[in-house]
Amino acid sequence: MIIRFESVLPHPLKDYNHAAESVWKNSFALDFPSKVLVNAISGKGKSTFTNILYGVRHDYDGKVLIDQKDIRSFSLHTWIELRKTKLSVIFQDLQLFGDLTTWENLQLKNSLTNHRTDIEINEMLEILGIPDKKNQTAKTLSLGQQQRVAIIRALLQPFDLLLMDEPFSHLDESNSRIAFDLICKETDKNKGGFILTSLGGKHGFTFDKELKL
Amino acid sequence: MLRKLLFRNSTNLQFIFATGGALIGLTSLLLSFQLILDVRNFHSSEEELFGPNSVVIQKRVTKLTSVGMNNTEFTPEDIEALRSKEFITDIAPFQSADFKVGISEVPGDGLPHFYADMFFQAIPDRFMDIDVDWSWKDTSDYIPIVLPRDFIMLINYGFAQSQGMNQISEELLMAARLTIHINGNGKRVKMIGQVVGFSHKISSILVPESFLEYANGIYSNGNIINPTRIFITTKDDSYGELEELMDEMNLDISQGEIDIAKIKTIITVVIGIFGVAALLIMLLSLMAFVQYSQLMLNKVSYEIRTLLRIGYSVKSITRTFTTQMILVFGVITISSVIIMTLVNVFLVNRWLDENGIHLEKSGIMPSIILAVACFILFILSNFLNVRKSIFNLGKN
Repeated sequence: MIIRFESVLPHPLKDYNHAAESVWKNSFALDFPSKVLVNAISGKGKSTFTNILYGVRHDYDGKVLIDQKDIRSFSLHTWIELRKTKLSVIFQDLQLFGDLTTWENLQLKNSLTNHRTDIEINEMLEILGIPDKKNQTAKTLSLGQQQRVAIIRALLQPFDLLLMDEPFSHLDESNSRIAFDLICKETDKNKGGFILTSLGGKHGFTFDKELKL
Repeated sequence: MLRKLLFRNSTNLQFIFATGGALIGLTSLLLSFQLILDVRNFHSSEEELFGPNSVVIQKRVTKLTSVGMNNTEFTPEDIEALRSKEFITDIAPFQSADFKVGISEVPGDGLPHFYADMFFQAIPDRFMDIDVDWSWKDTSDYIPIVLPRDFIMLINYGFAQSQGMNQISEELLMAARLTIHINGNGKRVKMIGQVVGFSHKISSILVPESFLEYANGIYSNGNIINPTRIFITTKDDSYGELEELMDEMNLDISQGEIDIAKIKTIITVVIGIFGVAALLIMLLSLMAFVQYSQLMLNKVSYEIRTLLRIGYSVKSITRTFTTQMILVFGVITISSVIIMTLVNVFLVNRWLDENGIHLEKSGIMPSIILAVACFILFILSNFLNVRKSIFNLGKN
């Protein structure tokens, strides 16, 4: 999957002076599979970047192309197909269903894609250290636990590109490391890539490419 | 899982109001529809003979008529004027026999000896909705005759007593043959006739049109006769126009017929108003229900948006909503058909029976079809609304 930005500038960021190496107002291409870090302090548009690429924000000038196609021309149906088969996401606000249990949240996704078996899902819960939270409703989980549920949910589908908007913001360093390893493993299994946004700092991870906002 | 996610907390006061509204609306619509159907089926026995809404009109006989200053004939212009009235759907002048007629018994058929001078008239066959064979050919065994019911009343309760005659039942009269004496154009002939029915409405002695034309052709004295009575068929609720026409042409219509027309008009108008009210209730409840589903959509807008973001299609979410709507409104539709039937059987029919009104029931099939049509309308409007709303949620 090739993603191309052509002079993209989100409307809320129009009045900022963007650095010369910034993603905004510049043109560049990203070729996946590869692992990309988007590093910036808050207020520079990290979530906007993710949301534009995921097709949930349209308030920008310029063009974004996925595989040579302008994403503005995508119908809702096309987006939904992409989100099911090629594009996965971990939102900054997680967007779990609070009234459903951890397991139901995960099943809701997996029953759509049939990507992983129940055993494999259990393994992931095990790896991330929340197997005992399976039957607890999501709204009763701590933010860190919710974040890990959201990470697993994002992995329950095939993808060429996984978008992650500050996925470790509520995790300590060792849990972040475990989660990052799982994400890398699954990404490689899918022969896909990811874009990870971070509030500065690489958490000691290695990336193929780094973007600045 | 989708259902659990989307319909938790969906049973609340608003839901009960919307459901109750839809139930009341649909039930009253079906009830009035059923009542309209039943009343449309309402026929007096007379109407079975002559078809519904038919009236005999004639001009009023006045003092001037009696001294020959005017007459009660309908001129061709009069008939043309009647034909142009919008509320009259059919019109037929009575044909009269232009020869003398007498009847007597056929010896051995059980009637006492009698002889009476008579006359014959005829109306077109399409007005004669009668069970027996009303057609007449010159090879027919007898001439079918319809007598006014008053005629047999006069004989049985007046004439027979004063003459020391036995009374005659309708059945006996219909079973016995009559000798018809025809005298005209210098010719005399005897034929056989038989009474096949009695009429409240037409105080005339009716024979088939085909016979009268045949007989006039042979025995006519050559007079040209303008009709004095005309048979008209009117639209259902045309009492107002009929009354106006009476004044305008100085017509004489039997009070009984006028009353039937009046009652039918009143019933049609009242039930029409009821139907319109029920339709309004129905539309109101439709809106309440669309409003309800809109509310439900708004309540779960986060869930819908997120589902679309994790790859659920508009179609599958719409389907989940529509299935729920079909379930809820299916129960409403079936319930209202059941309630309508129960109310009809245990309240309306009983009430009508107690008041001596016997309607020929028309069956509930048309009402079920109407209920299904409403069901489809509800589901379709909800489906379109839900799909549009979900689509809008997906785009933002």
